[in-house]
Amino acid sequence: MAQRLDLLDPAEVARLGGIEIVAEGVVEGFLSGVHRSPFRGFSVEFTEHRAYQPGDELRYLDWRILARSDRLFVKQFEEETNLRAMILVDASRSMAWRGSPERLTKRAYADRLAAALALILLRQRDATGLVTFDEQVRQVIPPRVKAGQWTRVVRGLIATPDGSGTAAHAALQRLTALLARRGMVILLSDLLFDRDLALAALRYLRHRGHQVIVFHLMDPAEVELGGPPEVRFRDPESSVTVVVRPRELARAYADTVRREIAAWRKACRRHGIAYHHVQTDLPFGMALRLLT
Amino acid sequence: MTFINPLALLGLVAAAIPALLHLLQRRVPPELEFPAVRYLSAAERESARRLKLRHLLLLILRTALIIVIVLAAARPLVRMGGAGGGAHEPTAVVVILDNSPSSGVVVDGRLVLDRLRVIARTTISRTTSADRVWLMLCDGVLRRGTREALLASVDSATTGWQRLDLVQAVDRAARLVDAQPLPGREVHVLSDLQRSALAEGRAVVPAGVRVLSLAALDRAVANRGIAEVRVTEGAAVIELKGAGAGSASGDAAQPVPVTIRVGAGRRDRGEISARGLATPGSAVTIEIPVQNLSPGWWVGEALLEPDELRADDRRPFAWRVAPAARVTATAGAGGFVAAALAVLREGSRVRDGSDVTFTGGEALAGELSIVQPPADPALVGQANRALGARGVSWQWGGGATSTPGPISAPTLNGIAGVQVIRRYRLERTSPGSGGSGGGSSDQSADDVLATVNDEPWLVRAGSTVLLGSRMDTAWTVLPATPAFVPFIDALANRIVRGEADVTTAEGAPRVEFRRRGTDTTGATVFGPDPRESDLTPAPKSLVETALGGEDRVEVLGDAEFASERFSGTRRTDGSGFLLVLALLLAASELGVATRTR
Repeated sequence: MAQRLDLLDPAEVARLGGIEIVAEGVVEGFLSGVHRSPFRGFSVEFTEHRAYQPGDELRYLDWRILARSDRLFVKQFEEETNLRAMILVDASRSMAWRGSPERLTKRAYADRLAAALALILLRQRDATGLVTFDEQVRQVIPPRVKAGQWTRVVRGLIATPDGSGTAAHAALQRLTALLARRGMVILLSDLLFDRDLALAALRYLRHRGHQVIVFHLMDPAEVELGGPPEVRFRDPESSVTVVVRPRELARAYADTVRREIAAWRKACRRHGIAYHHVQTDLPFGMALRLLT
Repeated sequence: MTFINPLALLGLVAAAIPALLHLLQRRVPPELEFPAVRYLSAAERESARRLKLRHLLLLILRTALIIVIVLAAARPLVRMGGAGGGAHEPTAVVVILDNSPSSGVVVDGRLVLDRLRVIARTTISRTTSADRVWLMLCDGVLRRGTREALLASVDSATTGWQRLDLVQAVDRAARLVDAQPLPGREVHVLSDLQRSALAEGRAVVPAGVRVLSLAALDRAVANRGIAEVRVTEGAAVIELKGAGAGSASGDAAQPVPVTIRVGAGRRDRGEISARGLATPGSAVTIEIPVQNLSPGWWVGEALLEPDELRADDRRPFAWRVAPAARVTATAGAGGFVAAALAVLREGSRVRDGSDVTFTGGEALAGELSIVQPPADPALVGQANRALGARGVSWQWGGGATSTPGPISAPTLNGIAGVQVIRRYRLERTSPGSGGSGGGSSDQSADDVLATVNDEPWLVRAGSTVLLGSRMDTAWTVLPATPAFVPFIDALANRIVRGEADVTTAEGAPRVEFRRRGTDTTGATVFGPDPRESDLTPAPKSLVETALGGEDRVEVLGDAEFASERFSGTRRTDGSGFLLVLALLLAASELGVATRTR
């Protein structure tokens, strides 16, 4: 019996082949279950209302609702062909980590998820591009819809080595210049950088009218602290070390991680940014389904 | 705090294990890469105070757990509030078991000593190896030994024949236990508490020493006992003592028959007995048919009918039956000697004859001589030569000394303390310097019978007795004292013959003779101290006062005594409590270790 690759364990799926094969398999399985694109743009087909966010164009305001209830809502439309999507993949050193050899690194997971996303977008003829970054922007593949774009995106992912530190806000600021035309921005990152600076850049994108989606990738070992009775943990980016007893600190650490996720979620929601927390043991199909 | 197993305290070193482990574990932790260090740092910052407190709490709990377990293994003794059982702190204790003759009295069909022995046994049984225990019996000897050895001594203790002065006994015992470096110090007095056992004076009991005295029996016991037997020429003077329930007006004051027996058990001489009635508290003279007794030493005894205390119902005596000495005195012997001899002659204590000669230093004559220094100092040298010629190894030194001094004569009680004004020093000549006349050259026969200022004053050398002073009031006040005539009597009838007086001593009733060669020179009559016959119990106030004072002495009944002994240091084994505490600590440690993560 054939199995849907989008619902298998990511590490097992990754063992089937390269990024292309995995992404295609995942997308095939995913689309057979969904039947329609999860992405919505600003076309002529109205889909739903949502609360007005600063930065939304006033022409999409629903004046009737405003007149009736004195509340600001904008109309959303299903986009058909003209969506410009830019996938941002964090290639910093911290992304090259995994808590167990049985799992993918965050970077490997992000690459495969980015490839799958690009494939879905390109299949519905949306212009899709790629930006990889660590402390600086490493690869920029402008959004196109022509044939061979997906292959370029995949090659861009493969060609980007693991970086060192992360200064996402700098890379995101540079992106604002690249994304002159309004579209969709999908960020795949472990978000291990300064939240306020990163949020400022994302907010700016949002202000420019982009639809922003954030995938917060975490290894399960980063959520539940474990390890030897006493251990010195070293940050691969900053080389900062800290000696802890994981069993003692596990509860406090889990609380801290929960608070951090909640803080990201709350900040993103406040600014109209879609936020999704994804652990690297989550099947790719489930991660894609978060967008529907 | 003290411990039953103090060696287990060495385990306290293990209390350092948690701290050492804590330090050792911190040495080289493995290093791992972890991207989310910023979350870790934040979590650690937030939990730093809690974790520090947890670490400290765990360290304290684990260290305390080890300490408590080690202490429990050492089995500490904890002070207890009330009376009752339980162990006690190490205690130095002297058990005074008064097995003097009075403890042999039978009350309600039971020996008093049995009651005392049971309590002594219980006390010693309750001691531990950490205690120091002594046992004192009526001989006053402090016996130190193991518990088993002392129990054996108690079990084998029978009624003794020596009187125990409780004041002195407690005084010694208190000083002994006070010198011991132990927390508890007790003196247990197990006695019938005769009033007479508490001599004058007061025991000095240092602070911190408890004296526990068993109370005397509620009721007094009537008793009659022979206190003393004195034998004179042809008669025995018997002094009776009596005390108890009837007191002087009761049964104890009634006349009781006394039997005198002389020569009992000597088939070669036969036995003479006589009877009389004696009243307790007085003396009775019983005539003895002396004409039936041949000369020599006789042993007799005075007997009473049996009563509750058997020890004093029989008292032996020694009697020297001898004819009166035949005495003559030269002119140089002086008027005082002549007068004394006249008195003695009148009382048939001496007869006229030449067996014993009193002289004033002139030429010695007779078989036995009692010689005074010459009145004329110029004749001293001549008298010394005469002594030498007789083989006497003593002589008068040159020049009379005028250093006065009292006479010291342990065996001649009558003249002791009498002042001597003038005297010659009596000096020993070299052995064998004299001839071998009527004297003896046997140096062992020489006796210094009296001294003045630690210098010989009255000596006997063989058959000659030398005096350092003339029997004249210009030389000594002795002729003017009542002791003078008995002294001359003793000189003529006993001393010059080399015979000693009959002495008395404490011990099982018997007579022991002193011998010199084949001659019997004296006798010692053993018997209980007459004060043992008085069974009047001492009042509580007297006991408290005599044995150290009210603040140090507790006079207790049997039950109180059992509960109060060692109560000042009574302790209980605290290991059970510590084990419970250890369990609580272990549970707390488990809780802190698991719940505070």
